[in-house]
Amino acid sequence: MPPVLVVSLALSPVIYLTGRWRMAVSRSFTLAALAVLWMAFGLIIRDFSTTWIYAQTAVRFAFDGISLLITAAVLVLSTLTAVFSFSDVRGESGEEKYYAMLLLMTGAVIGLVSAGDLFNLWVWFELTAITSYLLVAFHRERADVLAACAKYLIQTATGSILVLFGIALVFAQTGTLDLAQLQVSATPLAVVAGTLFIMGFGVKIALVPTYTWLPDAYAQAPSAISALLSGIVTISGLAALLRVLSLLDGMALGWGAALIGFGTLNIVVGNFLALRQDEVKRVFAYSSISHIGFMLLAIGIGIYADQDAGFQSGMLHLFIHGLMKALAFLAVGAVIYTHRNAPLKVNDLAGLAGREPLLATAMVVACLSLAGVPPLAGFVSKWQIFAAGITTDSVVLVILTIFAALNSVFSLAYYFPIINALFAKENAPPQRPVPLGMRLPIFLLTAALIIIGLYPSLLDGLVIAATQSLTALFGGSI
Amino acid sequence: MTTSHIVFAGAFILLAIGLYSLLIIRNLIKIVIAIQIMVKGAMLAFVAAGSLNGQSNLGQSLAVTVITADTIVAIIGLALAIRIQQSAGTLDIDKGINREG
Repeated sequence: MPPVLVVSLALSPVIYLTGRWRMAVSRSFTLAALAVLWMAFGLIIRDFSTTWIYAQTAVRFAFDGISLLITAAVLVLSTLTAVFSFSDVRGESGEEKYYAMLLLMTGAVIGLVSAGDLFNLWVWFELTAITSYLLVAFHRERADVLAACAKYLIQTATGSILVLFGIALVFAQTGTLDLAQLQVSATPLAVVAGTLFIMGFGVKIALVPTYTWLPDAYAQAPSAISALLSGIVTISGLAALLRVLSLLDGMALGWGAALIGFGTLNIVVGNFLALRQDEVKRVFAYSSISHIGFMLLAIGIGIYADQDAGFQSGMLHLFIHGLMKALAFLAVGAVIYTHRNAPLKVNDLAGLAGREPLLATAMVVACLSLAGVPPLAGFVSKWQIFAAGITTDSVVLVILTIFAALNSVFSLAYYFPIINALFAKENAPPQRPVPLGMRLPIFLLTAALIIIGLYPSLLDGLVIAATQSLTALFGGSI
Repeated sequence: MTTSHIVFAGAFILLAIGLYSLLIIRNLIKIVIAIQIMVKGAMLAFVAAGSLNGQSNLGQSLAVTVITADTIVAIIGLALAIRIQQSAGTLDIDKGINREG
């Protein structure tokens, strides 16, 4: 897989240049590049055992279970969002840049999760950030978009500099950057480095004090980009954070407790702020913050209580949350496309159920799944998180888990107005029909959420590989 | 306490200056400059770290790589500044950016 990333890096300028000549050629190149990435992924998943290290070149890669899970998610989501975008941004100025950046971002996320060297990890992290700035600012003629992008850029750039300082501290102490050999002993400097990593990557994954860029960026980006950012790009920062924290020896308990604390805070703050929103994309953006909290809580439980169930539920939720959020944002994007009104309020959804049954079904499935209603996929992963938390010995963890479960029920309070609005009386007729290219990804994601909800064991291969890698990362250091 | 240690501490002082500037400054171009100050601190930290553990070459080559990445960020930031100046008529992020949440 990692050597094939060259395809993504090399074809991205080709897509840009051919797009200036013929858009159809540019679109075909985008699909071709994604197909090559899929083929490489198929080859690697066929005989995947543990960690696959590629160190022939100066750029080292280590492809393990976490990389496998996130690569699967990013390929699924970027293929679907690319197909969706072929209809969504057709004919807009800068369309060729959009596809080029989309492909580059896909490659950057795969590189980020499979980097085998601490400094390369930062370079891939910066590349994901840079491509996402340009994609968020796609509608560059609107003042709101520019303001949201500026906010995103300032906060993320500051975060990545903090990560850089953390890497410099680790480098000063150990003299190596190879993730396989790196073990930082427990010293005050290592604590400082770990804090810098949590603060730096925390900006990217929207930990509570530094989440403010997220709702603006998600609400102002093109819908397909919100889907991709929310679904996987933001979450890949979590994988990077876990990989880096596992290097700091003998302090795993502390980091686990920190993740649990931040996770609980994220769940509460995300939920309460989502209640106040009346713009559909902002509701989903704030619900992202609370879902990141669920992942952090699960993985924190895994580290703190040394429980594989915590890792497993966290990784499952990571994958399923990507599908749910992608579906939610794509369905909103299709409504925005037909009505041509960019800030879509909850009330604007009125009448969708009668006119567009597929979009309405997709919205209902996405909302109920996000809230964790059985038998949809979101229920499976949330249930496993709560099961992992309840079975620990610590009383505090059990209380926190019950608190998180109550919050999950509470989240229905902001999903129900959306579902309710779908069935209200229509107030504005659509201006254009939903093209087939938009219906297809929405239909596939809706079907996937229902099927995974009924047969969650379909994802076992991916999730168990990721769990084993996480256990290997943190197992030795407790 | 060698020279490298002093340089390493200096890098963190640059980080502090940049973070403080981010808190008090509202002009977008000045914010880009503040980010640049912090990145320069990080580069200094890499060079000092390289000389501390006897790997000056590696430390310096990492610093050069950082230059490439942070130049791109600075360019995007300045491009945004131009666009915001054109559309909002001001570079003050409090007027252009403030939204709830």
